[in-house]
Amino acid sequence: MTQTATGGLTLAGLTKRFGTFVAVDEVDLEIRRGEFLTLLGPSGSGKTTLLMMIAGFLDISEGDILLDGASIRDIPADKRNFGMVFQGYALFPHMTVRQNVGYALDVRGRPRAEIEARVDEMLELVQLQQFGDRKPGQLSGGQQQRVALARALCFAPPVLLLDEPLGALDKKLRVEVQDQLKAIHRQVGTTFIYVTHDQEEALSMSDRVVIMQDGRIEQLGTPNELYERPRTRFAAGFLGKSNFLTLDDGTYALRPEKIDLAPAGSINGAARLSGTIRDITYFGAIQKFMVAVEGRDDIEVDVDSWRNPHDLSVGQKVDLAWADTAAVKLEDT
Amino acid sequence: MQDKQFIKETLLESAHAYRAGRMDRRSFLALCGMSGVAMSAVMAGDAKAAADHIVMWNWGGISEECHGSAIGVPFQEKTGMGMKFDTSGPLEGKIREMVDSGNVTADVCDGDLFNAVSLGPTGHLEPIDYSIVSKDKTLPQYALEYGISIILYGYAFVYDTEMYGDNPPKNWADFFDTETFPGTRSLYKWANGSLEAALMADGVPGDQLYPLDMDRALNKIKSIKDDSIYWGSGSEVHSMCISGEASMAIIWQNRGKNIEMDTDGRYKLVNNQAMAMPGAYIVPKGNPAGREAVMKFIATAQEVPVQLDILDCLGMTPSNPAAFSEIPEEQQPYAITSAQNIDNIVYNDPVWWGENGGDAVNAFLEAIS
Amino acid sequence: MQALRKHISPGWLLVAPFFLVVVVFYLGPLLNILWLSVTDPEPGFGNYSALVTSDAMARILWTTFRTCLITTVFSVAIGYCLAYAMVHAHQKKQNIMLTLLLISFWISVLVRTFAWLMLLGHNGLVNNAFETIGLIDRPIRFMRNELGVLIGMIHYMVPYAVLPLMANMQTLDPRVMAASRNLGANGVQTFRRIYLPLTLPGIVASSLLVFILSLGFYVTPAILGGGKVLMVAEYISVQLLVTLKWGTAAMLGTLMLIGVLALLWIMTRFMQLSAVFGGGATR
Repeated sequence: MTQTATGGLTLAGLTKRFGTFVAVDEVDLEIRRGEFLTLLGPSGSGKTTLLMMIAGFLDISEGDILLDGASIRDIPADKRNFGMVFQGYALFPHMTVRQNVGYALDVRGRPRAEIEARVDEMLELVQLQQFGDRKPGQLSGGQQQRVALARALCFAPPVLLLDEPLGALDKKLRVEVQDQLKAIHRQVGTTFIYVTHDQEEALSMSDRVVIMQDGRIEQLGTPNELYERPRTRFAAGFLGKSNFLTLDDGTYALRPEKIDLAPAGSINGAARLSGTIRDITYFGAIQKFMVAVEGRDDIEVDVDSWRNPHDLSVGQKVDLAWADTAAVKLEDT
Repeated sequence: MQDKQFIKETLLESAHAYRAGRMDRRSFLALCGMSGVAMSAVMAGDAKAAADHIVMWNWGGISEECHGSAIGVPFQEKTGMGMKFDTSGPLEGKIREMVDSGNVTADVCDGDLFNAVSLGPTGHLEPIDYSIVSKDKTLPQYALEYGISIILYGYAFVYDTEMYGDNPPKNWADFFDTETFPGTRSLYKWANGSLEAALMADGVPGDQLYPLDMDRALNKIKSIKDDSIYWGSGSEVHSMCISGEASMAIIWQNRGKNIEMDTDGRYKLVNNQAMAMPGAYIVPKGNPAGREAVMKFIATAQEVPVQLDILDCLGMTPSNPAAFSEIPEEQQPYAITSAQNIDNIVYNDPVWWGENGGDAVNAFLEAIS
Repeated sequence: MQALRKHISPGWLLVAPFFLVVVVFYLGPLLNILWLSVTDPEPGFGNYSALVTSDAMARILWTTFRTCLITTVFSVAIGYCLAYAMVHAHQKKQNIMLTLLLISFWISVLVRTFAWLMLLGHNGLVNNAFETIGLIDRPIRFMRNELGVLIGMIHYMVPYAVLPLMANMQTLDPRVMAASRNLGANGVQTFRRIYLPLTLPGIVASSLLVFILSLGFYVTPAILGGGKVLMVAEYISVQLLVTLKWGTAAMLGTLMLIGVLALLWIMTRFMQLSAVFGGGATR
């Protein structure tokens, strides 16, 4: 693989308004060369709008976008040279896979031989060598997704934008394609900007994740940072599950799997809270306990199934304990 | 022109159906279930119920009123029978279709005498009963076995006086001379009159027109093709003159009179070398009112007062020679058999047209398109 | 009976009455026409041989074909622009445009034809205006010739051209066009290589519709052609009503029918007919 193009992007005070509605609100963001950055948020959080501004399909209301330090604000979409994988793939239905993949080079007037060689290379990258002469309609969803990826990468863009590219796939296929995407990212080294509302996808694939809410960046960090040290209630709740404990000095986020649970009086160390098991749900690898604690919301505790020595049952009194580092104080109480 | 007839015909058909529906509602509704059958069945029923009146199939417009007052009134006085109208226009093809379908709803058609020549021998017409109808009350050559001329209409021409004021065109030769008389000509699309005019313009004497020399006529017509437009209905040529689009137009002489009036004399009718066309009454085979009744009707139309009424109302010229001398002063310039015009006109040969008309029309269409 | 039921779906029984009506009132007369074309005036293929021997027939067919072809090209081209504008306009504007389009649908062909005479005729609005401002000193001949026929026919046909195109364009995914731009194609390239091929089924459907409808045009050529543009429909009517050559009329009618069927058949060889008539498949 000879592809080396990669670029860093700077978003400076980027704003998009539709009438009086502010879809993206003064976003500042430094996207590093070659990183896999995910924009994560619920629908309406502005993540797709942000992506469309980067792609050049939406005008910028205020602020600027810089590619390796130079403004691309006034460069039209077809001159930005950013690859993009669309939601639903947006393949050209009347062209073969090869024509789809080679399209970007074709419209740039590159010689036939170069196009063919590059298309071969890309089809190999996404492992679709033997499907080159099919039409997109003759491919499965996963295959179409890979064609879209190959097409977007074919002209070696410095930045690849991906708009919920796995949204149309079923869960099992999704995990498979996630791995492939990660591998391809490593291989090509291009900067990936990935939009999704699926937190698992964001955690498993990204170098860094931007959590977005109401057109603003809620928190930015590595998956580990975000999971272990959410700064806000929204971040803690959107990325994984969290209990929220209001103590004297503020609100704390506490992941369910970080809580130890034992029959009343039998816990190691100091019990932090006591309560009654209200409900138990079996998930295979883990069991979810809902514990009613007087004066508080129910607390969820996830316990690995293999560790369940106490044979707990609904109605039983239990003590809850956790390490000091497990509870994370939130900034936005 | 034919579309208008089609619309009229459709309206008429629904009117018939409605009337019949009131008469026999139950069977009408039952038949409606099989729409196609319903229409013809209802029409047939209507026709059979028509023995107390004569149905005249004509071209609508004011002719309905004129025929009603000029012929219908004296006919009712004489026989007690009424008169009704089908105004969809008795084109030859429609008459043939009506007789072929066995569903004859008209008693007498206000057609052309050449229709009698082409439709008679094929068994689509009732022969004229000359014990009731008089051969002497029309021009001798216009009393045929299957039809008789009641009125004459003429193919004359009008010209724009603003264009040719000082040196007006006087005959067909002038009409076809686009060098001396530049300007757009309008000719009748269905060949009638146009062919004869072309031959006369080319020097053929008016009494030696038939059989028509088609090649010669068409060559003459083609020679002014670039300056020609063609009309298919009276209203069409009327509007061509009103708008000044045509500087000269071949025209029915009664329509020419209307154009003179509507343009305040800007357009002027020339009846010199006008061709007398025998308008004829013909009777579809198996007409509902019966042969005798319809022959009496035709005989009524031959009467001099009736003929003069038609002239007054429709501008159609009498064909009964006894009426020629009675043509009133104000109609003298327009009626082609008036003393003023009769020596300058030529006569159409319905036999030639009946036998060759179809081919002539097609050849003409081919030449102009 | 049991055996019969096995082969005939009971659904057919439901449509049987309508089927019968179609056979009796539609196929029957149609066969009658076919029959007439080989029996009138005398049995044989004399009517059909006129196609080869008669210059007139060839000319009329050529005039018809040429006029219909030009009408189709212009109607579809104009219709394409209109459909594009409508599909990509805001909903509210789209509704207004659609209403205007449908209004012209509802106006009778006769009225529309005469309206052109008033507008572009010898003494029409346009000629009068031009003369008044001194642009011309004698009226331009827009009407009573082939140009007039074409103007009238194209005007009548544009709405018919728009609708299949609109239906087709509405099924397109705008992201596909965005993808093309994103991959570096400019507007022209995107249109030529993506939009146009994807709207091809709509173009074919609209062309077929316009061409087939144009073949039957009668009123407009008769009025706006000034007698000089003789198309098949008018010629058939003359043969039926004036010259009584019903065999010729039947032959031409049969020929038109076969021509239309052949056209449809050829198209099915290139694409699914369902796609052409709004099936919505884009490939």
